[in-house]
Amino acid sequence: MKALILVGGFGTRLRPLTLSLPKPLVDFANKPMILHQIEALKAIGVSEVVLAINYQPEVMLNFLKDFEEKLGIKITCSQETEPLGTAGPLALARDKLIDDSGEPFFVLNSDVISEYPLKEMIEFHKSHGGEASIMVTKVDEPSKYGVVVMEEKTGQVEKFVEKPKLFVGNKINAGIYLLNPSVLDRIELRPTSIEKEVFPKIAAEKKLYAMVLPGFWMDIGQPKDYITGLRLYLDSLRKKSSPKLASGAHIVGNVIVDETAKIGEGCLIGPDVAIGPGCVVEPGVRLSRCTVMRGVRIKKHACVSSSIIGWHSTIGQWARVENMTILGEDVHVCDEIYTNGGVILPHKEIKSSILKPEIVM
Amino acid sequence: MKALILVGGFGTRLRPLTLSVPKPLVDFANKPMILHQIEALKAVGVSEVVLAINYQPEVMLNFLKDFEAKLDIKITCSQETEPMGTAGPLALARDKLIDESGDPFFVLNSDVISEYPLKDMIKFHKAHGGEASIMVTKVDEPSKYGVVVMEDTTGQVEKFVEKPKLFVGNKINAGIYLLNPSVLNRIELRPTSIEKEVFPKIAEEKKLYAMVLPGFWMDIGMPKDYITGLRLYLDSLRKKTPSKLAAGSNIVGNVIVDETAKVGEGCLIGPDVAIGPGCIIESGVRLSNCTIMRGVRVRNHACISSSIIGWHCTVGQWARLENMSVLGEDVHVSDEIYTNGCLILPHKEIKSSLVTPEIVM
Repeated sequence: MKALILVGGFGTRLRPLTLSLPKPLVDFANKPMILHQIEALKAIGVSEVVLAINYQPEVMLNFLKDFEEKLGIKITCSQETEPLGTAGPLALARDKLIDDSGEPFFVLNSDVISEYPLKEMIEFHKSHGGEASIMVTKVDEPSKYGVVVMEEKTGQVEKFVEKPKLFVGNKINAGIYLLNPSVLDRIELRPTSIEKEVFPKIAAEKKLYAMVLPGFWMDIGQPKDYITGLRLYLDSLRKKSSPKLASGAHIVGNVIVDETAKIGEGCLIGPDVAIGPGCVVEPGVRLSRCTVMRGVRIKKHACVSSSIIGWHSTIGQWARVENMTILGEDVHVCDEIYTNGGVILPHKEIKSSILKPEIVM
Repeated sequence: MKALILVGGFGTRLRPLTLSVPKPLVDFANKPMILHQIEALKAVGVSEVVLAINYQPEVMLNFLKDFEAKLDIKITCSQETEPMGTAGPLALARDKLIDESGDPFFVLNSDVISEYPLKDMIKFHKAHGGEASIMVTKVDEPSKYGVVVMEDTTGQVEKFVEKPKLFVGNKINAGIYLLNPSVLNRIELRPTSIEKEVFPKIAEEKKLYAMVLPGFWMDIGMPKDYITGLRLYLDSLRKKTPSKLAAGSNIVGNVIVDETAKVGEGCLIGPDVAIGPGCIIESGVRLSNCTIMRGVRVRNHACISSSIIGWHCTVGQWARLENMSVLGEDVHVSDEIYTNGCLILPHKEIKSSLVTPEIVM
């Protein structure tokens, strides 16, 4: 089976992290974002993944060589020369997605994290016999999104309503599709929207079905949602009793710590914390609701919450970092500094406190 | 003769421009910053230039290959693995700077623009017979800088005073040196400051001489000074090679326009404007005190002053950009938008006006 992951874009909402790496390679729960998806695809037998990209192909390609070997799955790139929207890239990658098997192929949106129940999706797709299946997820405020109106029992999709003013349903497109090759005949090689142009047509022919995504779902393309997403992801690990979660007297709630990271005495870590490879967390540090990327050093008695600390940064002694502070790569926060929602670009030193949210360039 | 250009650093003060290319490759007056210096060195007979860098060597090296061929001068890189200060890089590049000729070598700071009177500096150096010569430049507010106290007739340097509270002189280090190979024996291979550790010792031995830089001088490492620097540079072109400046009824003051750029009807361009290769300035556009980088399109009736427009941007019809707005690469300002002093990171679209200075990420 084949799969396409829609990568596209410049990842500007995840700056300053995406000033160092293209978004799919930004780590989430100690693993490049895109690896979560590639692994889920590999697990159900996908043999080839096509990445639809339009930015920094060289960086992506280098990464891919590493992972092709480690994972034993073929990974190729399909590069847009102009932005092709959410359907155009499928037409561009047509030859890679269709083979003689006639099997359906997956399409994933790269910003999404979920449990990826792809096996169940294959079964759902076979049983309804339609042309296309999409995952939908329940949200509290559907009026902010595109709502999928569907028949409850069969899942047959009636229509899509963009940002509905009156309540029509509370399921939105989760960005995970399973499509028959015939869908490609509906897509021209031009900038095209799959939600606005392609799916509505298939729905009108009563050949589009939606499955409600079990478990969590999050679009982690911006820092606030990235942090919420980590909570949901770790919670899902807890439910599966995953051995990946850390335990000990200094751990509270769900926490993952890379095996090469070091944590000093008297720390209190968690809930909802990810500590990456090679990190050094010195004694007496408090971490909650935060991601600490590869190679970070957090000095004694510091306190970090609801923040993302980028690769190879350092946080000084007694520093207090909170409220959606995002440190890009190689940022050094001096001792005793306070940052409240500071968004710091790479290669900077913070020598005075940041009392209210601002971008430091 | 050899020369070393101190490139170092991440160029954070020139962001968002330096998010796209390393600082030495950012264009100034339609030419990469570092090319101004390399050409001045070539003109005075330097056969090899060493660039002391610590960031993005691959990008620099690609650029260099192009220019080595075009300029017929040898250009090599000396890469710091840790920041070596302002003298350490000289020790690191020792083997490249010394040869059997025993000639002195130049050291330039990459952020500086000036007329580069290097031939006069060589004569000055030979005449005084000391070990090291430095260029100094007169400033209005010496208390903000490191002041060089020198004997007026001979130029012999007595001492350096950092940010003096009482007036001791008004000449500061201009970042252009001519050093005998013996100076390298004074520099250890560790982070070292040339102004604080090396030069004061040479001055004590009465072997350091300073020459007052004729013509203009500017450190263009930040947007405000970059814009002032363009004014000074174009003013100097007016005095020396006025044929390079644009002329015509739509030009006021000093303006350079690349030959591949197009300027429409009814425009008023200048003073102190640089328009780069491939730019399209539509009709009725007003430009003053600004730099327009390669590939920019400025639409009808727009008005830009005291700003820097990065590569491949577009500025919409009737848009007004002023007061130190800096657009990174590939930024698109919609029609009728106003921006006041805003710094916009690459690959963004500005669809609503920004009335007070801010960073848009």
